[in-house]
This record gives sequence, structure tokens and C-alpha cells, in this order.
Amino acid sequence: MDTEQKSQQQQSGGEFEREPVPQSRLLGFKSFIGMYAGEHTAGTELAIGPLFVAAGVSAYDVVVGLIAGNVLAVLSWIFLCAPIATRARLTLYYQLEKICGRKLVTLYNLANGVMFCFLAGAMVTVSATALGVWFKFPMPALNDFYPNSIGWVLAVLAVGAVISVVAAYGYEVVSKVANIAAPWMVLVFIAFGLIGLRQFIDATGTEVNSLSDVWTLAKTHIWRGADPHPGRVKFTFWHVMFFAWFCNMAMHVGMSDLSVLRFAKKSWYGVASATGMFLGHFLAWLAASILYAFQLHQDPSNTSVLPGPLAYQAVGLTGLICVIIAGWTTANPTIYRAGLAFQAIIPRSSRFRVTLITGGIATIAAMFPALAMRLLDFVALYGLVLMPMGAVVFVDFWLIPKLGLRGSYAELSGRPCNWAAGAAWIVTLAVCLGIVFIVGNWILYFIALPGWFIASIIYIVLSRIYQKQVPLSAAQA
Amino acid sequence: MRTTTILMIVSLLALVALFLPSILFLAGRMELGTVKWIMLLATIVWFVAATPWMWKQSG
Repeated sequence: MDTEQKSQQQQSGGEFEREPVPQSRLLGFKSFIGMYAGEHTAGTELAIGPLFVAAGVSAYDVVVGLIAGNVLAVLSWIFLCAPIATRARLTLYYQLEKICGRKLVTLYNLANGVMFCFLAGAMVTVSATALGVWFKFPMPALNDFYPNSIGWVLAVLAVGAVISVVAAYGYEVVSKVANIAAPWMVLVFIAFGLIGLRQFIDATGTEVNSLSDVWTLAKTHIWRGADPHPGRVKFTFWHVMFFAWFCNMAMHVGMSDLSVLRFAKKSWYGVASATGMFLGHFLAWLAASILYAFQLHQDPSNTSVLPGPLAYQAVGLTGLICVIIAGWTTANPTIYRAGLAFQAIIPRSSRFRVTLITGGIATIAAMFPALAMRLLDFVALYGLVLMPMGAVVFVDFWLIPKLGLRGSYAELSGRPCNWAAGAAWIVTLAVCLGIVFIVGNWILYFIALPGWFIASIIYIVLSRIYQKQVPLSAAQA
Repeated sequence: MRTTTILMIVSLLALVALFLPSILFLAGRMELGTVKWIMLLATIVWFVAATPWMWKQSG
């Protein structure tokens, strides 16, 4: 087995990377509940929640939009990702290699690695804001693009260096710390919301005797539906719903979680993703946005989205520890995975060195506050970039055989690059980004939906041409 | 085995102690300063008590 294969194995758990998971190694429902709850209650939730308030969202739009979007996300895991995962029981990388060929998978790894790098950068940014509370250096404002102080740069460097070195040594220890911290972290996130709510009640003098009074407080003081902050897209119900649905698009529609759910006994175990969605992407986002709305209520000119000070104001040192651990435990495996994705491109390189360099890139990215302050845009882009390959996997698995074509064509033909799949990816991405460029930034949150159909149609049409152009020999057929 | 059971109970109580003050604060029954101290104490107890048995469980 070559280094590339090994690194792809490690990337998704290190077991059964080039063979289906055997029956004896399947996992029960409980394993997935804990995993999803932990994975989706991360440091970045503390940055995303406030950005909804900065986008001028109203109470109805944010609450109902998040419920609808999270339900759609869970349904995407159940009906798109899990059925393929539990039938093929292969990792995404191996499934893609069979369909697209090794060269195209390498390109996919590059895109994946770059996206992971920036995502890890945002997590480093979140952790570094906690250091600002201790060391009192000037921290970035909402619309800052470049680093604004030496203190900020040093804080990011310090956090990034620690995370990168630990990731380079392997992330098993951090993964264990993450498991231990998960239940504690979820409760601290909920406490943020409860404390923020009381602070609002006290600051506004609102009389709260029923849930309806809480709702009135939410509508009039927390999520007021006011104008967005300058330079921000105004968020409506539809923006919130599509954002909640697509922020993990790479995992469900994009099929990254084939690597996880291939261990599930039944495809309905995809429903376990609801724990992550409703703890992390509902309660944690709402709690963080309450803290930010309270900050604005106290000082409307203080628009900075800084999870460290927000958490410290609410629950003191526990909040700072939560911000550091939440950022650290999620940035670490992300840098590790990015390193593995890059290593797959240069198989002879040392994983230690590649992970360190990857951590360095993430750290440099983290110095630019625009990454965290524009996290909503970045997360939408992240899903969009990886989504077309999910459409290719879906079509290849379900539709291609029904259309009289052959699935897993790269494997059958022995070709290193299935250009039908490559074109489906690149053309879809070019069309979607072109539309965003022409129509405006707001459409970035919606374009992935038509994009999925565009990718599917292109893959079907081009597969027909490609499979005629590259016929199988009698032995291959 | 007995130590693990005790640690599990202590961990669970730490989580209760972590969460309860925020509910009491919401109900107007506790000062924020007290909430912060209890949450910090509960955090320390959680990590001290949960680490030994959860570390083993996560392989």
C-alpha cells in the first residue's frame, strides 16, 4: 500500500479504507449521537450566532429558519448520505477514486485541504480572542480585513503554533480531550443563552411572566430585524434556512460523511445528526447571538464579533476556557485532516512536516480577521466547492445504472481521470460562482441548490459521451 | 470499578452544578458573580472527575 493510500486511510479513521466495513465492525446508534453532538458544537458557533444579529435577522426568521434548515440538513444526512454509506460502506475518498480516478481525487483533496485550512484558521481566530481578554491588546473590529495590532498577531501565532505542533504529533490526545469536554461545553453554551436572556430582562426592565413575554423580548430587543450592519447581507427566513441547511453541505450533500456513516448498522442512524444540529446549530447559535445582541444593547458602537470577550462577560473564566477548548479541539483535527489531504498529493512528504506547514498556513489565515468576521460567506462557499462531487457520487450510485451506463467507471476502465466527473465539478463551480459574481453576494447562500441539479445533469450527459469515447474492453466489462 | 462509579456520579453532579446556577440566575435567584464562581468550580470538578473514566472509554 503506498503512502497516498495510507494517508487517505488515516484521513477517515484508518480502518477499512479500501474495502467495505465488515458486519462485525458496525456501530450502534449511540456512537453517532455523541459524535455528531460533539462535532457540531464547536468554537465557530460562537462567531456564527453573532453574525446573524449583524445581518439584521428578526426573531421569527432566526428561530423558525434555523428549525427548518436544521431539519432539512438532518433529512439530507438520512436520505442522501446514509443510504449510500450503509450500502457501499466505503469512504468518500475510495468511492470517489472508483468513480473519478486517482488524479481527480488528488485535485479534490487539494480543494478539501485548502478549505480545511481556512476553516481551521477561523477556529484559531476564535481561540485567540480569548487571549485578548487576558492580555488586553486591541482586537479586530467587525469590518477589519487586516490584523490590527501586534498583540493580535502574537496571540494568533501563539495559539496557531500550539495547535499545529499538537496536530503534527497526531490528534488522538486532543480527540480524547474533545470527547471529555463535549458534554461540559454544550451546557456552557446553553448557560450563555440563559444568562444573556436574564441580562436583557434586567437591562430593558421587561416584565417576564410567560413564554409569550420572552418572545416579545426576543422580537423587540434581541433579534429586532433591523437593518444589517454596513456591508452585510440582510438575512431573512430564507437566508437563515438555507444557511442552516447548507453550512454542512460538504458533509451531507457533499458526502464527506460517507466515511463516518459507513459504520452505521442502519441508514436511519443519519438521524443522529439532529443532536449536532439542534445543540450546536440551534441552541449554541441562538445563545451566542443573544450575548452579541446584549453587547450591542449596551454599546451600539461596539459591533466587534469577539467570542472571547462575549463569553467572559457572560460566565467569566469558564467562558474563556470554553472558547479556548472549543476552538482548539475543533481546529486540531481540521488541521490534521488538511495535512493528510495535502500529503495525499505529495505522497513521499513527511506527514509531520506537511501538518506543520498546513498549521502555519491556517495560522497566517487566522491573522486576517475577515475570515472569522465573514464566516457566514466562507462556510457557504466551503459547501458549494465540495457539493458537486457529492452530486456525482449520488448520480453514479443511483441513476447511472438505471440509465444503461456503468457506475464506478474509472475503476472499471482503469483510467486515472474521469473527465465527465471532473467537468461536472469544475463547470458547476464556475457557473455558480459566475452567478454569485453577476447577481451579488446574497445568492451565495442559495446557489448550491440549483448547483446540485446542474452538477447531476452535467455528469449524466457527459458520462454518456465519456463512456462511448472510452469503451471497456471485454475483460473490463 | 467502585472508583469509576464514584467518579461518574461526581462528574454528573459537576454537570448539574455547572448548569443549575444559570437557571437560578435566569429566575433571578442568584447573583452573576456567584454564578461565575460556581461554574468555574464545577468546570474544575468535571475535568478532574470525568477525565479518568472518559479517557479509558474513548480508547
